[in-house]
Amino acid sequence: MAALQEKKSCSQRMEEFQRYCWNPDTGQMLGRTLSRWVWISLYYVAFYVVMTGIFALCIYTLMCTLDPYTPDYQDQLKSPGVTLRPDVYGEKGLDISYNVSDNRTWVDLVNTLHNFLAGYSPTSQEDNVNCTSEKYYFQEVFGAPNHTKFSCKFMADMLQNCSGLTDPNFGFAEGKPCFIIKMNRIVNFLPSNSTAPRADCTFLDQHKDDRPLQVEYYPPNGTFSLHYFPYYGKKAQPHYSNPLVAAKLLNVPRNTEVLIVCKILADYVTFDNPHDPYEGKVEFKLTIQQ
Amino acid sequence: MGKKTLEIYSVELSGTKDVEQTDKEDGKERYRGLKNCFHSKKDHHTEKLNKELDLDDHKLSIKELEKKYGTNIITGLSSTQAAELLAQNGPNALTPPKETPEIIKFLKQMVGGFSILLWIGAILCWIAYGIQYSMNKSSSLDDVYLGCVLALVVILTGIFAYYQEAKSTNIMSTFNKMIPQQAFVIRDSEKRTIPAEQLVVGDIVEIKGGDRVPADIRLLSAQGCKVDNSSLTGESEPQARSSEFTHDSLLETKNIAFYSTTCLEGTATGMVINTGDRTIIGQIASLASGVGNEKTPIAIEIEHFVHIVAGVAVSIGILFFIIAVSLKYQVLDAIIFLIGIIVANVPEGLLATVTVTLSLTAKRMAKKNCLVKNLEAVETLGSTSIICSDKTGTLTQNRMTVAHLWFDNQIFIADTSEDHSNQVFDQSSGTWASLSKIITLCNRAEFKPGQESVPIMKRIVVGDASETALLKFSEVILGDVMEIRKRNHKVAEIPFNSTNKFQLSIHKTDDPNDKRFLMVMKGAPERILEKCSTIMVNGQEQPLDKSTAEAFHTAYMELGGLGERVLGFCHLYLPADEFPETYTFDVDAMNFPTSNLCFVGLLSMIDPPRSTVPDAVTKCRSAGIKVIMVTGDHPITAKAIAKSVGIISANSETVEDIAKRLHIAVEQVNKRDAKAAVVTGAELKDMSPEQLDELLTNYSEIVFARTSPQQKLIIVEGCQRQNAVVAVTGDGVNDSPALKKADIGIAMGIAGSDAAKNAADMVLLDDNFASIVTGVEEGRLIFDNLKKTIAYTLTKNIAELCPFLIYIIVGLPLPIGTITILFIDLGTDIIPSIALAYEKAESDIMNRKPRHKKKDRLVNEQLAIYSYLHIGLIQAVGGFVVYFTVYAQEGFKPSILINLRVEWEDSNVNDLEDSYGQQWTWYQRKYLEWTGYTAFFVGIMVQQIADLIIRKTRRNSIFQQGLFRNKVIWVGIASQIIIALILSYGLGSITALNFTMLRPQYWFVAVPYAILIWVYDEVRKLFIRLYPGSWWEKNMYY
Repeated sequence: MAALQEKKSCSQRMEEFQRYCWNPDTGQMLGRTLSRWVWISLYYVAFYVVMTGIFALCIYTLMCTLDPYTPDYQDQLKSPGVTLRPDVYGEKGLDISYNVSDNRTWVDLVNTLHNFLAGYSPTSQEDNVNCTSEKYYFQEVFGAPNHTKFSCKFMADMLQNCSGLTDPNFGFAEGKPCFIIKMNRIVNFLPSNSTAPRADCTFLDQHKDDRPLQVEYYPPNGTFSLHYFPYYGKKAQPHYSNPLVAAKLLNVPRNTEVLIVCKILADYVTFDNPHDPYEGKVEFKLTIQQ
Repeated sequence: MGKKTLEIYSVELSGTKDVEQTDKEDGKERYRGLKNCFHSKKDHHTEKLNKELDLDDHKLSIKELEKKYGTNIITGLSSTQAAELLAQNGPNALTPPKETPEIIKFLKQMVGGFSILLWIGAILCWIAYGIQYSMNKSSSLDDVYLGCVLALVVILTGIFAYYQEAKSTNIMSTFNKMIPQQAFVIRDSEKRTIPAEQLVVGDIVEIKGGDRVPADIRLLSAQGCKVDNSSLTGESEPQARSSEFTHDSLLETKNIAFYSTTCLEGTATGMVINTGDRTIIGQIASLASGVGNEKTPIAIEIEHFVHIVAGVAVSIGILFFIIAVSLKYQVLDAIIFLIGIIVANVPEGLLATVTVTLSLTAKRMAKKNCLVKNLEAVETLGSTSIICSDKTGTLTQNRMTVAHLWFDNQIFIADTSEDHSNQVFDQSSGTWASLSKIITLCNRAEFKPGQESVPIMKRIVVGDASETALLKFSEVILGDVMEIRKRNHKVAEIPFNSTNKFQLSIHKTDDPNDKRFLMVMKGAPERILEKCSTIMVNGQEQPLDKSTAEAFHTAYMELGGLGERVLGFCHLYLPADEFPETYTFDVDAMNFPTSNLCFVGLLSMIDPPRSTVPDAVTKCRSAGIKVIMVTGDHPITAKAIAKSVGIISANSETVEDIAKRLHIAVEQVNKRDAKAAVVTGAELKDMSPEQLDELLTNYSEIVFARTSPQQKLIIVEGCQRQNAVVAVTGDGVNDSPALKKADIGIAMGIAGSDAAKNAADMVLLDDNFASIVTGVEEGRLIFDNLKKTIAYTLTKNIAELCPFLIYIIVGLPLPIGTITILFIDLGTDIIPSIALAYEKAESDIMNRKPRHKKKDRLVNEQLAIYSYLHIGLIQAVGGFVVYFTVYAQEGFKPSILINLRVEWEDSNVNDLEDSYGQQWTWYQRKYLEWTGYTAFFVGIMVQQIADLIIRKTRRNSIFQQGLFRNKVIWVGIASQIIIALILSYGLGSITALNFTMLRPQYWFVAVPYAILIWVYDEVRKLFIRLYPGSWWEKNMYY
């Protein structure tokens, strides 16, 4: 088979390229004359405008089909995630360690809690109503102002010793630190049938340790009152605040790393998803030095 | 064979013997150029050889030779001796040139094409992991996995390509085995034919004209032996060989014939002195291995395409690397983006697809009798613009056939089709009865016995071409000819010879009442007529007067003018009183009359065109392919065949025709009026290259007659000067330069010599011209279909790339993962892109000009732009709509997604809020992200179905092409859907693959975009059809 390609020298190639960039004979730049460039650009502009229009129309239609109050699907949100404050992350998950005698090591933790609880001050909760019933607070109609629904108040002082009001150091100074457990919001989620969900913190590797973890829960029993459920979504309940449970750990051994898990015990909260360490529970490492 | 007998019977219209001689010299001139290329090499080799060779066999006498090799020139070696020597020295075959080791070939596949890009991707993955690891000991292994997957992809595609290549090489090697070389050898005092491989030193072999010399041979005796040493020395002129020692150098002496050279004429006996690798050529071969092959057009095209895609990938990759870095992304992230961009841009499965497509076509062509030696030659044939074809055997049936009869002052037409089934001329006349008797009896040809079940036309006959034609003709019409001959016992015969120019035989008749002998005679018509005094008309003898003689001449000229070989027939019943039953005829003394016979009729024969050829020529013509006939035959015959197959069309004339019609001299004719030209070798010899160029450009229909094979090379070169892609057919050894020179050399499978087959790129198994046209059609089809496949494959690259770009710039959660992209490229898209290879031609495939090898690229600007910026963009938009739908319905509206990337990907954020105020853990988000991948994947897959359908045609509407004609397309679509279903629902639970079970309705979100793609493309094609040559076509037709 005969050769089909002749080798071109570099200067020839350059010359060809130059000619491609500007061809004085035909007035072509980059293979097209100016007017051709205008035409082709116009075509592309039109094409992209139309495509953008179609895209915008699709997104607009999509938006129109969405319910403003509840998402269409909650495939991933069968069970709420659980988070912990203060939240300091190590290489693998939450890892909190401080030295009782060195307040520089825990002042940041305490500040985190203060900042977090700022959202539960009386001023920030003033738009919410007081709830006393221990039942689900179902609201069929938009009874609250501005076509919204009422949200129950959750005040920092409900956390008593862990509210930061009585003990601004949240027990960190005496080695009995408070941890605040928060359950993620899920629209229309009902955690259990009748009993209120409650938090339960234990050592993760209990068998090695004879003494079980002693915990003081606030509110008492570590329950999340049922009247905070169901959550009707951001639009219906713009001032909704997650209920919290504080766990004051009383007998954490010193100078060793302990693994603690706080689970939410409720009928519809699961904590056995092998892939998701934060579903229905929160685990953390704690090292208190002295 | 046709040619030899032609010289015997036909009327010599012009003396051309001398032409041949001069042609040859001219050919020598032409070879000089070729020779020069080899010259430096040759000198080098000769030098080396001379050092290494200390053989003195050429100096030894025959006695000494016999002693040296322990053989006997009369009895040869004994079988046991030969077997011993064979075991000792190995077979007489060249060790195949040191091939590239398989491992190197394999590694080449691993780094060729896109592989290098993917390797870069894989290495970047590992580097990224290394950086991550050095910063954080517990970083995730995702990047390592991705790197491994990429490496695996390269290795798997590499293995596949290697396997394909090995397979096509195997086809070639089986082909080589199909034609084992035989040698004629004396062993155990017996002559026998053995495979040349089994020759050993000391064997006595015989060679004759046309053979390849089976080993290095010291000649013992020779008769007019000439060899072509071109394969050894580059010297193309035949060299005489004899048994005399003429030169001290082994290479120069006349009594040595070398392995692999060709014996052109004569015969010789010789003793094998070297076999296999120890032969001269074997030593040269081991020295000169690895002569680089030229790239085929399609290889160039594919390289061009790889450059384009790699260029796009690298430039976009680098551009976005810079953008990412300047957007304050970490270098590590930027590297990961770069990997994604590379993976999205590279069509991983495409090169494998192309190989499969080509081999599918090669297989299809093999079924149609085109054996393609090199996969890529499949396409070269498609770009052919000139075919230089042989006449005999290629355009014609390669057998003489009775075409016309003349008796009773009338010309009758005989059926010349392949099976002779339909003989319609009037057979009731008494003249025919006599004529048929002469045809039957005055014929020495016989069927080989044992062929009763074979159709008459296919039976093997012992006899020359004309007699065979007559035998078959009469067998078809009269039935059992051998039986008729038996009944009319032959008592004497004078066979044909060139001085008499007639053939005669005397028979007893089969009529028991008629005791006369019948003398029948056939021969050159004018000679036969001379011997006649009467002529038979309607079964009655009439005196031969002037008017009947005139009629004879008119008929004779007419038939001769058709390029046919004419024979005259006459007979005489010998009077019973002069020649009683016991009379002894003596053919030497001629004791019987040979004049005053009764003329019966004329019969003309031609080697008729194959019935498929006229159609094929018409096809070529409408396909813009010029068909040039190159033949050694007589111009009149050549022209007649050219006319009958349409190489010279019915209404076009040569200069000579015009002159004849207008009754003016040839010189006065305006040359522009003539479309056709018949050029003889003699005229060609006198032409300068410029004149030849002029001839080739000015005439659309050209026949070269009386040309020597060497002149073929001049013609090919002339055509190539016109920038044409030239296909050349050839069968002889001396065609091989032309075959090599041609862009695609086509050797004849039946008539072709080994040398021709070796030089050719393709072998026509049935020697039929029509097969070439089928090949051209397949070649064009494959080019079109490859375009379609590439367009199909490139389109989705944009849909895969855009997510990364948007991800980097806008900060959305990643819409599609790298692994998912690989599942598209190597999963759902593979079978559909192969399915396009089965697409039927758009109706106009043989109605357009051949592609210009420099201008009509496989991947042109229009194809890339239309795929990337039009359809690809629509696909990307469609994919994003599915993506946004999934996220929005799960709670993340598009507005919140913007710039969410950092928080979204932070595994320490486990209460990320969505548009509804719900809070998500990292894993919940990740799962949603994978659902997004799956959704985007499904979106692309659905739109790729539309893409596949629109790629069926480039100009015609899909509805013109037929939606269901290519069933394989539907297999492809089904495979796409099934693979996607399996990935989503079957493997959705394996987290490493990043697929999830997608809600059923999301499979349909992209359907409107699929329809949009189809409609948009139909509109594009409609405008292309409506406004050919317009701005639209120039920009939108790929």
